[in-house]
Amino acid sequence: MPFFRRVLPAILCWIVAITLLHMWVNLGSFTPKSGSGGSAAPFRVGFIPVTCHLTCPVTHFINDSLQEESNFEPIRFSAWPELKEAFLSEHLEATFILAPMAMALREQGVPLKIVYLGHRDGTTMMVHKDSSIRRIEDLRGKTIAVPNRFSNQRLIVFRAMRERNIPMSQVKLLEMPPPDMPAALQVKAVDAIISGEPFMAQTEMDGYGRILFLTKDVWPDFISCVLAVHEKTIRDRRADVQNLVDGIASSGKWLDQSPKHRMDAAEFTGKNYYHQDPALLSFVLSKPPDRVKYTNLRVLRKDFEEIEALALEAGVLSGKVKFDDYADPSFVPDEASIKPRNWELP
Amino acid sequence: MTLISTWSPPPGLSTETSLPSIAPRVSWAAFWLPVAVGLGFLLFWDAAVRFSGSELFPKPLDVGRGLLELGQKGLLFKYIIASLFRVTWGFGLAALVGVPIGLVLGWYPFAHAAFNPLIQAFRPISPIAWIPVAILWFGVSDAAPIFLIFLASVFPIMVSAMAAVQNVQAVQIRAARNFGLSSGELFRKVILPATLPQILTGLRIALGVAWLVVVAAEMIAVNSGLGYLIIDSRNAGKRYDLVVAGMVLIGVIGWLLDLAMRQVERFPSVKWAYGNRGE
Amino acid sequence: MATAVNKGDPVKSRGGEIVSVPAVSVRDVSLTFAQGANPVQVLEKVSIDVWPGEFVCIVGPSGCGKTTLLNIIGGFQKPSQGEVFAKGSPVLGPDPRRIFIFQEGGVFPWLSVAENVGFGLSGRVPAERAQIVKHYIDMVGLNGFEKAYPRSLSGGMRQRVEIARALAAGPEVIYMDEPFGALDFFTRMKMRNDLIKIWQKEQKTILFVTHDIEEALQLADRVAVMGRRPSRMQSIVTVDLPRPRDLNAAQYLAKRDEILEILGFHHSHGQSLRETGFHPHLAHQRRNDASGG
Repeated sequence: MPFFRRVLPAILCWIVAITLLHMWVNLGSFTPKSGSGGSAAPFRVGFIPVTCHLTCPVTHFINDSLQEESNFEPIRFSAWPELKEAFLSEHLEATFILAPMAMALREQGVPLKIVYLGHRDGTTMMVHKDSSIRRIEDLRGKTIAVPNRFSNQRLIVFRAMRERNIPMSQVKLLEMPPPDMPAALQVKAVDAIISGEPFMAQTEMDGYGRILFLTKDVWPDFISCVLAVHEKTIRDRRADVQNLVDGIASSGKWLDQSPKHRMDAAEFTGKNYYHQDPALLSFVLSKPPDRVKYTNLRVLRKDFEEIEALALEAGVLSGKVKFDDYADPSFVPDEASIKPRNWELP
Repeated sequence: MTLISTWSPPPGLSTETSLPSIAPRVSWAAFWLPVAVGLGFLLFWDAAVRFSGSELFPKPLDVGRGLLELGQKGLLFKYIIASLFRVTWGFGLAALVGVPIGLVLGWYPFAHAAFNPLIQAFRPISPIAWIPVAILWFGVSDAAPIFLIFLASVFPIMVSAMAAVQNVQAVQIRAARNFGLSSGELFRKVILPATLPQILTGLRIALGVAWLVVVAAEMIAVNSGLGYLIIDSRNAGKRYDLVVAGMVLIGVIGWLLDLAMRQVERFPSVKWAYGNRGE
Repeated sequence: MATAVNKGDPVKSRGGEIVSVPAVSVRDVSLTFAQGANPVQVLEKVSIDVWPGEFVCIVGPSGCGKTTLLNIIGGFQKPSQGEVFAKGSPVLGPDPRRIFIFQEGGVFPWLSVAENVGFGLSGRVPAERAQIVKHYIDMVGLNGFEKAYPRSLSGGMRQRVEIARALAAGPEVIYMDEPFGALDFFTRMKMRNDLIKIWQKEQKTILFVTHDIEEALQLADRVAVMGRRPSRMQSIVTVDLPRPRDLNAAQYLAKRDEILEILGFHHSHGQSLRETGFHPHLAHQRRNDASGG
């Protein structure tokens, strides 16, 4: 039949053409890779474009620029569920993840260990600049958007309410993806939003948001995200895990070393990894300068037991697992021995 | 009144003629009309955004500038190729799997009774619900969105192939058997050509669905594609101009894909099913 | 007078030789449908022999099962009882030596006229096939339409295609199931004329089912008359009239009345049915007992 004689070859041509084009343009299959990252097994780390995870792309970028041999590969996700699933199905060896979420997963039997932190502080609660909310007490009866029930942002709301004797039933909590929060606040769909940066700072930069409080003022040394690794990976690839933690630690030190480093990080991360406006990231990383900190990221028992207790009270965790079950602080390098990366943006 | 068969009809009287061919009026109207409607729509869009005073929703010119920006960064080509690649493979595999299964289920009532309920139970499940499964099985590679697109397309294809077989008229099967056709020849010479138009219609619809699902399918951690562009732009803050640019690209390419399918339908092997609208 | 042809009677075929094996032989065929609790008997012990080269019509009221009978003869259905033989061997299914022409829709819409006509000729070399196809397209008067598709042809032309296709396959017997039923008056008239001419040229055996008694009388050598359900072969009327048949001739009218009587229609007041204005096409007319006809 002429139909098949003409249509089938055309279809075959299309399939071959589009496949080759895709491999060339998107997978870089035909360009030789810089460095020789191909020989060792890849070590994939998941992240989401939030400042909490900044050390991830920074480490990778610096590695790449220094042409250091590394099998560390950051993989970007746009939402928590996909990141969680990719980690659970072992497509990622490690990932940045919300601290309570890691603990909850451990409770549900996932063999992971928290080995490092993402950063300290770096979370803000914002309200609309026109709103009547001036103090935390004014949140009574209002709607607050949080990123996830298994987040420390939710726990900080709980803690803040508890300290002021406001029962949680008098506050309405809404789970919302962080990228949607700025728009929701602008149209006043919610009264307050709390999440990691840079989404909070965006409302400030765009002129309709006002800071209600910084977490560093309510819960000092607040932890948002942690670095979690599969137990299997810890067992089989100890050296790689240690390399990763060392890299992240010294990248963190580099970030905190000087404002210029932060500006540079905003620049290359915004453009290459986060696809966010570098100006926004610069703002977050500098106003005020201690809005977010990348050092002192040790995994400490007391920090986590504090989270555990709060989570238990809030009903988020059931208390089945303890620090030794879900954490492994053995990788944390000695604070004094961490050296910042020796690198400048050309 | 007498019926007279000793009379023969006069030579000039044609008691039967072929039906007149109505030439399709593809004139300047068919081209300029849609262009006018499109322009009208753009003007309406611009006015609506201005009138609503929204600071977030982009106007047509903003979207145009966004497209230009993507082109300059070289992302336009990359993203279009990526999405087309995934839809090609997802849809292609769906056709490869769905058409034969649909034909078999349509032809053998036993198989139909056995498997159809299962298929109808799977069909309404949205591809978005399959995302966790896709990640679990395929991780973070192109395979995961291809899988989702496959799922979205395979069911419409199967169902239309089934229906196509069941619609083959018994008369024609009898006539074919009368000529001594074996089962294999019956399939090749009767079932295939008789069902081809309806199968193609099913494929055209499924292609539309596949392209529609590309946004959901690229929500997984791929880092290219038009669906990814939309999700990423949303995550990047206020780039709603790029969000709408992504939508525009998806719409235009979807339309072109449909046009291509319609060209396929002009072959005689397919055209015979479409009534007497003229050659 | 009506006579049933007995099994085994030697008869002259049209070619002039004596043959003793019928082309088609139906022996006590019955068919019962199981429809819910009550079985419906459609055919009751129907028998008939069709000799090579004959043109036999089967007539009867609507719903009497004549199409079903033809399907059974053609091998598309199995009878509940009885048997069908073709040239002495039992019929087990459809066979290219006996082609069936349907009332509608038998032509393949995805093939052109020429491709349809050549459908039964796949075993031949292309040159030979082309020649045969051309021959029969000419014969049915469809010159110029070789590349046309059935969707752009009228009903009568489609039936011609089917006839050409059947003939091209070179069968011994052709079965026709009300093939002109869906056509208009003029077309039917022409088709009947042309069919007789083709039959005279090709000398095929034809078994033709119709509800139209006039049509049967215009075409057939013998007319088999079937009654209402459960149908039996009421009677077989021989039509020994020269062709083309004159519908005004007294013998013709006598045959027609004969058949009508077999079917249960009565004269009223001694007039012929024609004079009373009775329209022979009204197959639904009930028996006219009450008016004392």
